[in-house]
Amino acid sequence: MTKNTEDTTCEYHVASFVAYPILAQLNEVKQAITDIEGSEIHATSAEGKIVFTIEGNSYRDIGTKMDIIRVHKGIINLSPVYHQILDESTGDDVAQL
Amino acid sequence: MTINRRGFIKANAIAAAAAVAGVSVPAIASNLITSSDMTKLKWDKAPCRFCGTGCSVNVGVMDGKVVATHGDIKSPVNKGLNCVKGYFLSKIMYGKDRLTTPLLRMTNGKYDKEGEFAPISWDKAFDIMAEKAKDALKKDGPKAVGMFGSGQWTVQEGYAAVKLMKAGFRSNNIDPNARHCMASAVGGFMRTFGIDEPMGCYDDLEAADAFVLWGSNMAEMHPILWTRLTDRRLSSPHVKVAVLSTFEHRSFDLADNGMIFTPQTDLAILNYIANYIIKTDRVNKDFVSKHTNFRLGETDIGYGLRPEHPLEQAAKNNGKTAGSSTPIDFDEYAKFVSTYTVEYVSKLSGVPEHKLEALAELYADPKIKVTSFWTMGFNQHTRGVWANNLVYNIHLLTGKISTPGNSPFSLTGQPSACGTAREVGTFSHRLPADMVVTNPKHRATAEKTWDLPEGTIPPKPGYHAVLQTRMLKDGKLNFYWVQCNNNMQAGANINEEAYPGYRNPKNFIVVSDPYPTVTAQAADLILPTAMWVEKEGVYGNAERRTQSWYQMVEAPTGAKSDLWQLVEFSKRFAIEDVWPEELIAKKPEVRGKTLFDVLYKDSSVGKFSLDEVPEDRLNDDARDFGFYIQKGLFEEYATFGRGHAHDLAPYDTYHKERGLRWPVVNGKETKWRFKEGSDPYVKAGSGWDFYGHKDGRARIFALPYEPAAESPDEEYDLWLSTGRVLEHWHSGSMTQRVPELYKAMPDALVYMHPDDAKKRGMRRGDLVKLISRRGEVQTRVETRGRNKPPIGLVFMPWFDASRLVNKVTLDATDPLSKQTDFKKCAIKIVKV
Repeated sequence: MTKNTEDTTCEYHVASFVAYPILAQLNEVKQAITDIEGSEIHATSAEGKIVFTIEGNSYRDIGTKMDIIRVHKGIINLSPVYHQILDESTGDDVAQL
Repeated sequence: MTINRRGFIKANAIAAAAAVAGVSVPAIASNLITSSDMTKLKWDKAPCRFCGTGCSVNVGVMDGKVVATHGDIKSPVNKGLNCVKGYFLSKIMYGKDRLTTPLLRMTNGKYDKEGEFAPISWDKAFDIMAEKAKDALKKDGPKAVGMFGSGQWTVQEGYAAVKLMKAGFRSNNIDPNARHCMASAVGGFMRTFGIDEPMGCYDDLEAADAFVLWGSNMAEMHPILWTRLTDRRLSSPHVKVAVLSTFEHRSFDLADNGMIFTPQTDLAILNYIANYIIKTDRVNKDFVSKHTNFRLGETDIGYGLRPEHPLEQAAKNNGKTAGSSTPIDFDEYAKFVSTYTVEYVSKLSGVPEHKLEALAELYADPKIKVTSFWTMGFNQHTRGVWANNLVYNIHLLTGKISTPGNSPFSLTGQPSACGTAREVGTFSHRLPADMVVTNPKHRATAEKTWDLPEGTIPPKPGYHAVLQTRMLKDGKLNFYWVQCNNNMQAGANINEEAYPGYRNPKNFIVVSDPYPTVTAQAADLILPTAMWVEKEGVYGNAERRTQSWYQMVEAPTGAKSDLWQLVEFSKRFAIEDVWPEELIAKKPEVRGKTLFDVLYKDSSVGKFSLDEVPEDRLNDDARDFGFYIQKGLFEEYATFGRGHAHDLAPYDTYHKERGLRWPVVNGKETKWRFKEGSDPYVKAGSGWDFYGHKDGRARIFALPYEPAAESPDEEYDLWLSTGRVLEHWHSGSMTQRVPELYKAMPDALVYMHPDDAKKRGMRRGDLVKLISRRGEVQTRVETRGRNKPPIGLVFMPWFDASRLVNKVTLDATDPLSKQTDFKKCAIKIVKV
């Protein structure tokens, strides 16, 4: 079972994605991504694929932000790639991969 | 400090996504809970129902419908990641054309082979099925009935089907589509080790210093394992990756040593590596002398074609002795492989000498821990068993086996190819736990476990997959039931063999499927089928991990699980309908009973009460039959393996765990088999013990390179290789119904070298015909993109039901494993 983490406050979430935009709308899509708090674009490939991350404090936070981009009219597809949670309540400095 | 940790994991997240976009890493994916109303979701775990990796996913149910899935962070397999197919798991059950009623070909309200499909009730469907099955049994006996199942069957479904066919109908004509997938791997394991399935596990991914991919495009076909491999490669600079294939694909992006070889010459490359190890004096002599012996295998064994084919007429040893071998010693073996010099093999394979040497050195260097992965490149090969034997040779010569990171590892393509097809034994020659029908002791064991009279199980292997297709065409297999697969799209040479067989007026074809696949549409009766978490089940993945799940949602009204269909159908047969009087006389108490009574309800299958199923848990099948049928089938099946190196834990344990790798002894799983300290079956003091063979030794086989069944010539001047793509799983019957996946890869294109296209006056996007001696298929040319064939070879995926590439492939099979070679035949391409 997945633990519902919505109420915890000690988590750091980071998720990375590849967005496949309609090329003609590349700039609008990129703007939509950067408008979202906690998001950051890291690269755009020659084909227009956008690599970006979203940081947040819960699954829901990440999911809500992801959905905003997902439904953008300029997006053909959005692929979630990576999601990791850091439990910062322990103070442990060893990253859990 | 937290910033460092955050920075570290963020860097990983970016690297993974950048690799995806930059094609150096495939589109690995981690699902997130995207619902804005997630508090209403009910979550439970289930293994993914696609490939053989066996990822665990968390399934979110809301209002009786699966609405979300995400990678299971507690799963040791995928550690929270998901591939793009897994991400969209929740959508596969909700395609618009989901079937919800049986459909029979009819004219004027009556069955007519040439009629149109019309809805009928389940009762009427079983009526006509029973009538046709009984007719076939009466006319020609058990050999006239057959079943084609799947590595996507749950363990319980496969086991119920084996019992129904081999004991109920007394026909061994049952085979899984796994025959197309890893029968050669099974043959290789049995021949070299005397026991099936990999000795290593996925933990090898974090322990190896080098990875060699033989005919495996893990980047697209096993993305989660590829992610783990990529992690290992990128986090440990000394780690090397070698990739061999007949064309360049996405896995080459991570390769330190990428090699394109001429089809079929992998056999020569494998022998060259053995020769290199010997010539550079890097044989692990202590290991070899204690744990192996050498055999010279039979050669010139044919190509598994119809007996009248000229190639079979010409072959000297394509009969029953094709798999035989004679003992030799090390010196004879060394002499045998000595002709495979780097010069000869480089010329034959087209791989530069320095690349071959670098590859061989990975295996030869005693300090490098090597894991070899392979899938269809080895297995779908007319010498597939040999290819498997030859890679084991290399690991055995160096002693690089059964220890962390040292692992010859055959990957599988289906979620329960290992669990259901191999371990349950749904092959035409097999019984559970590696037993075979030809062995009287094995038959006796099965008959005793099933509480059936001696002589119930027929001793002769039944029709395997390709032979089933041929026997349908020849009108000798007349009642045929296909479950959980799409063979009219997946089988080879469908133009000449499969389709005429399905439409042969002598035959009655039943296809169970959730969707109207190509196969379903070629049938006479279609049965609507429940899938994945619409039923309870168990799968077994490629690392021997057994995983279970509960039913989480109701199937659409009218759709029933494969298990329900099999068991319900068994009620239609009185024992007198199917067994001869002399067999019944050996056990008179079965008189007047049905197959349902004898095989299921009154056997140990029926001993677990419904009381074990809590009221608030869905389990439609158990409630329908009146007992906990999934547990009964599993526990009866498990008795075959317990104490015989295939031990499974109690059924209920699997519902609490994220799977366990068998043998599970005293509650402990086994990571590395055959090694003292990690495998409880290894004799103390032996170090390694290959106990599948009575002498405890693995076999090193001297086997040569032999050419392919068909090679390009003047008229058919190109090699054709077929395969899969990331977005679609196998024939696409599920994934093509997910709009996001369909959009990403809508049509199967033919990938071609730009020079080959230019030579034929073709450009990217042109409509062309692929023509072989057997048929033709139309598609469009792709000269760019993810797959880059060399000059002289083209690649076309087979997921696309509108472009059936298997109309042109050749049904040449490995004579030992009976697995078809989908990777090589000769074609020409012309502009339309």
